[in-house]
Amino acid sequence: MIRLRNLERSYPLGHGQTVYVLRDINLDVTEGDFVSVMGPSGAGKSTLLHILGMHDHGWTGEYFFDETAVHHLKSKERATLRNERIGFVFQQYHLLDDLTVYENLDIPLSYRRYSKSERAALVAHALDRFQIVGKKDLYPRQLSGGQQQLIGIARAIIASPKLLLADEPTGNLHSSQGEEIMELFRKLNAEGMTIVQVTHSEKNAGYGNRIVQLRDGWIVDS
Amino acid sequence: MNDLRFAVRQLIKSPGFTLIALITLALGIGLNTAIFSLINDLFLRPLSFKEPDRVVHMYSNANDRNLLELPISAPRYQHYRDGQTIFDGFGAENINAFTLTGLGDPVQLFGGKVTSNYFDVLGVHPIRGRNFLPQEEDTADVAMVTENFWQKRMGGDARVIGRTIILDGVPHTVVGVLPNLPFSWIGPNAEVWTTKPFAIPGFSYERMMRGTGFLRVVGRLKPGMTIAQARAALPSLDQSYRTQSPDKIDSSATMSLKTLPEDVTGNLRPAFATLLAAVAFVLLIACSNVANLLLVRFSGRRREIALRMALGASRASVLQLFIFESLLVSILAGVVGSGLAWQLVPLVPKMAANFLPFDPETGVSLSFPVLGFTIALSILTGMAMGIYPALQSSRADLVDGLKEGGRGTSGSVRQQRFRKILVGAQVALSVTLLAGAALLITSFVRLNRQSIGFRAENLWIGLVTLPQAQYPDLATRQHFVERTLAALHAIPSLQSATVSGDIPLLAGAGSQTLYSRADGEILPVDKRASAVSHDIAPDYFKTWGIPILAGRDIDQHDVSDHQNVVLISQAGAKKVFGNENPIGKTLLVTSGSTPVEIVGVVGDVRSRKVVEPNDMEFYRPWAQENFPFAVVAVRSGLRVDAVTKLVQSALNTVDPGLAIAIPQSMDKIVAQALGQARLMMWLLGIFAGAALLLATVGIYGAVAYTVEQRTGEIGVRMALGAQTMDVLRLIVNQGMRPVIFGLVVGLAAALALGRLIASQLYQTSAHNPVLLVATMSLLGLAALLACVFPARRAALVDPVQALRAE
Repeated sequence: MIRLRNLERSYPLGHGQTVYVLRDINLDVTEGDFVSVMGPSGAGKSTLLHILGMHDHGWTGEYFFDETAVHHLKSKERATLRNERIGFVFQQYHLLDDLTVYENLDIPLSYRRYSKSERAALVAHALDRFQIVGKKDLYPRQLSGGQQQLIGIARAIIASPKLLLADEPTGNLHSSQGEEIMELFRKLNAEGMTIVQVTHSEKNAGYGNRIVQLRDGWIVDS
Repeated sequence: MNDLRFAVRQLIKSPGFTLIALITLALGIGLNTAIFSLINDLFLRPLSFKEPDRVVHMYSNANDRNLLELPISAPRYQHYRDGQTIFDGFGAENINAFTLTGLGDPVQLFGGKVTSNYFDVLGVHPIRGRNFLPQEEDTADVAMVTENFWQKRMGGDARVIGRTIILDGVPHTVVGVLPNLPFSWIGPNAEVWTTKPFAIPGFSYERMMRGTGFLRVVGRLKPGMTIAQARAALPSLDQSYRTQSPDKIDSSATMSLKTLPEDVTGNLRPAFATLLAAVAFVLLIACSNVANLLLVRFSGRRREIALRMALGASRASVLQLFIFESLLVSILAGVVGSGLAWQLVPLVPKMAANFLPFDPETGVSLSFPVLGFTIALSILTGMAMGIYPALQSSRADLVDGLKEGGRGTSGSVRQQRFRKILVGAQVALSVTLLAGAALLITSFVRLNRQSIGFRAENLWIGLVTLPQAQYPDLATRQHFVERTLAALHAIPSLQSATVSGDIPLLAGAGSQTLYSRADGEILPVDKRASAVSHDIAPDYFKTWGIPILAGRDIDQHDVSDHQNVVLISQAGAKKVFGNENPIGKTLLVTSGSTPVEIVGVVGDVRSRKVVEPNDMEFYRPWAQENFPFAVVAVRSGLRVDAVTKLVQSALNTVDPGLAIAIPQSMDKIVAQALGQARLMMWLLGIFAGAALLLATVGIYGAVAYTVEQRTGEIGVRMALGAQTMDVLRLIVNQGMRPVIFGLVVGLAAALALGRLIASQLYQTSAHNPVLLVATMSLLGLAALLACVFPARRAALVDPVQALRAE
């Protein structure tokens, strides 16, 4: 599903100097994988995730997504591909404070130009599936961290992406909430969704079938 | 002190905010201060008379003929003087021009002939000598001059009292030197006053006593007497005059009173109320701009507020901190605004002198009341802007503030609503102001395009007063005109020349003459209509460029011992004769019902005011009707001063003792007639421009700041799939929503305002749909642009950076 070849990400430091965040990354993720990317802070885990999620375009090398050469796509084409195939879960949930739960779930669908009736059906299905129908009119501040992350995940998968990217999804949750989220991920993976998560937690990494270790921008173990 | 230091540091830390807030507020405060300074000079600074509120100006009104605020006749003045019990003093002035000789070249002076108590009634004490004495009223040749006259024409002679000056060829003894009197009461150029007020030059005593109004009558209310009580006492005097003088032409008139301060400013009040409202709008827009910025700024400091409170700060101390900050901005803006006003205020008399009772030489500068106004305005502004944002922001939830974890940190729902209201209010105020300005500008353009009926370009005008002693009657004044015109015709560089009794578009242009058709039912004199009458010499229509539409011009046969003739205006012909041919018909004119035969119809002329509709106007031959005031008009391509020299030299060959007063181009007089409308248009245009700019900056500032605050949210939206157009649409939609609300409210306000300024509009509907739509479109477009720029910036947000910054 994903093939990275000689992928590098660097930032100019000024005075002609460059700092590399990712070096010579070669990575394959097959459909149905549940990959956990681990490594110390600053190793390049989140950067890798944002490149996979096509948020970051400043890299070099080759990136194939389902045989589509992402590195040859224009920004708009990447956005279209991302919207069709990828969902993203954030550590800080990043729910929109001024929108209700229902509206937060509706947002990605509206950006994907779903019709109003399709959106209503999909949101209703998500609310039902995650058992949060009773919370649809609440604002994020009225929910616990775990509940917010649940909405974050529901929002990420509402448009049925093939790939779910999660950046430390339990980083802000206490252990029991974290476990619930990881169980949910396991269930989604079992249903066929490919997942790549960044985590510091060995325990959470254990929910996946594969671990990629990053250090100073290099893959040291995969 | 710590709070103040912190506030200063905060402002220095955000130079962009500080600069925008300072410029915005300084503009609002500066413009308000400049206009207030004008209002202070005109309305609030008392006239330099003793207790001016107790001095009233009495007017005569023929309500049934809609002739209002006319001067008072001599018999009526005498009747009221003898019968009244409401005034301590009751005096009159017969405004007059004099020819001064014997002090250098002959010069024309303005002033008046007054009752002996006139200056006592006004409460003016001479700085040298004394006021007139009762025994001097009817017979003595005495004069009082202003300090300016004394200094300029007599070199400040210490022995001025008792010196003789020659006025209209008659030696007058100077008995007093008056302080310089307010322009607003005496008008420009008035320098000298004499006694013997009860005479109209060119009128016999009998004709004057028929009831022709010519006196400016003033009374000083008795102590404890209110103006309402004085007004209540008038009807019985009106009635007794009516009973005792039923045959007078003003017998059915009623009297009205105005206090002097009200009298001198009355005509300007609507215009100044409009201007004051306009600058207040500008300040309100500026305030809402800055309040909006403050609100966004304060709400962006939730974490700091929460931290302060966690460390023990009370809500009051947080409130105090924020109010310090907004006060500091407003006071600094007050200082800059005062600087702006300091530059603008001295320009005011120069700009306003053409049409306001202002001495252009007056050294007006920021006075203490004005400075006090500015300081008060600054503090008030600071409080008004700061208090709500401070109250809102100091209500921060401690835990939430410290966590600061959520998205959409553009403030609470209540704050967002308030900010939208502020933007909406700015837009509404701007639409109202822009619509008002657009109406007045359109009105002025129409006024400027209005045909005045004569050709003002290359037309030179000068006034010559003919002394009664040398020119006592029709014949001598006719002889003077014949000789003067002969001398002027001999000058080859002058295309044409004529003489008339008045200057169109100057105050008091043309005398009012009662008239009636001679056929059919003849109305009693006091029920007759009145029209402007011009006494004209040959070549008048040619020189002024007024077309003769029917009949003939006056000629050499139209002299005093022949049939009296008249030419009338086209509008007058239609009004009185409808479809009949007026040529050859007879009218009865003047209070003496003089029959005059209509020999011609001429084009309509706006001789009183450009805005007044065309009406009946009479043109009577100078040889048959004239007064000792001769207006020389010369058409020539030469410059004004060159023509003045030529005319003066021609005049010297006729009578070397005569002088030309106020020589000027007719263009200038026409421009002055439009001066108030022009200045209003400029000022309102400037204010509306400032409002548009401020509102645009305000909308831009609010949207840009919101975008900055919502960078993280926009990043999330983009991470969730939002594309450039989605972000653009989001920001523009949210930015434009309060704008559209403001446009709708502004439209309603503009419709309401239209009614208020309708009286100041000329041939312009106060609800002109094209103007309103254009105004709204202009503001809508400006607002859209103000939203699009920050929206574009938002669309370029790098989601990775935005999310990382969180």
